[in-house]
Amino acid sequence: MQMAKNIGLLFVMLMFCGCGSAATRVSIPVKVESEIDINRYSNFAVLPFVPEKEAGRNEELPEDIGEEIASILRSGLARQKHFEVVSTQETARLLIGETIGQEWLSDTEHLSQLGEYFEVKGIIIGSFHFYSDSRPRRYYGERYSIQRQRYVMDYQDYMQKTYILSLRVMIFDVEAEKVIWDEAYRRSTAEAHTIGSFIFSQAGPQANTMRELGKRAAMEFTREISPHYEREDRYLVN
Amino acid sequence: MLRYRCLTAITILVFLTLSGCAVFRDTPQTDAYNRFAIRAAQAQLWNEAIFRWKQVINIDPDDSKAHNNLGVAYEAVGNMDAALTAYQRAAELEPENKYYRLNYRRCRIHLRRSGADSKDTLQMEEDEFLSPEE
Repeated sequence: MQMAKNIGLLFVMLMFCGCGSAATRVSIPVKVESEIDINRYSNFAVLPFVPEKEAGRNEELPEDIGEEIASILRSGLARQKHFEVVSTQETARLLIGETIGQEWLSDTEHLSQLGEYFEVKGIIIGSFHFYSDSRPRRYYGERYSIQRQRYVMDYQDYMQKTYILSLRVMIFDVEAEKVIWDEAYRRSTAEAHTIGSFIFSQAGPQANTMRELGKRAAMEFTREISPHYEREDRYLVN
Repeated sequence: MLRYRCLTAITILVFLTLSGCAVFRDTPQTDAYNRFAIRAAQAQLWNEAIFRWKQVINIDPDDSKAHNNLGVAYEAVGNMDAALTAYQRAAELEPENKYYRLNYRRCRIHLRRSGADSKDTLQMEEDEFLSPEE
């Protein structure tokens, strides 16, 4: 009786094995279109980014960090075949005598005039807020105790310092005099410190961290507005 | 007791042999082409894979697997019209297969995102080929 039961079970299992069709997952490249009309917005001028004043808590940064972010964005966009970007030197030359401030972000008339002056369809402008957040953390691990002759639970206190960059990027349509893109890109990185190294890090320069985070945020923006390929899964049936 | 165990082992062996035969039941040539094409596709040699799956379809025009796989290959090389036709044919031949429906749906979603396909067409074809619960 038991044997008949076993054979029956086995038969059902094998039947399912024979009937089932296995599938192989493969990833294929799929084209992702730009989120803006790249035929209309083919040339841009990227203006220096301005620090957000009311946000406060901005870390001590060099004066020209906003221009550096703009420069990173320019070189990223210039690599895309669909876009033409006014060069850094040309932008600096055309902006002589202008003082870029946060009020520019909402001054559509002025931005439109600048766009005509630059002879571009779109102006990329934005602001940044860079700050750090430090919190004490505790790391739990194990260490070998010679006295007890076994591993024991142990912990270590440290300071976790998180640098956060919030980059607001806007695309301004010069002809229509309106903002067609307004997105904030938030990037962060964390580092662990002892009390000693934490004090040094508070006094040390943070421009490199800011540049790195700016690069990542700019890359995401460039990716969103330019056609690119992503990988998606499909199933091949054996 | 020992005799029963021995008998069970023999029965298992017989069933395994039979199930092995069932997997490679017919058209060994098309199966071989299909396996080869899948290996080519995994190596990203899509044109070679397309050639093989076309051969399979020439031999057996109603091979739903080949139509589905050909659809994937066409999608990979960017020939979206041909991919859709191939997916549709696979879904027509075997409407219950979840993989065909999944590939077909993903392809349509991708086309809709890129603006090459209208929402109405997608809904119409989904109603036609896809069951509502999935």
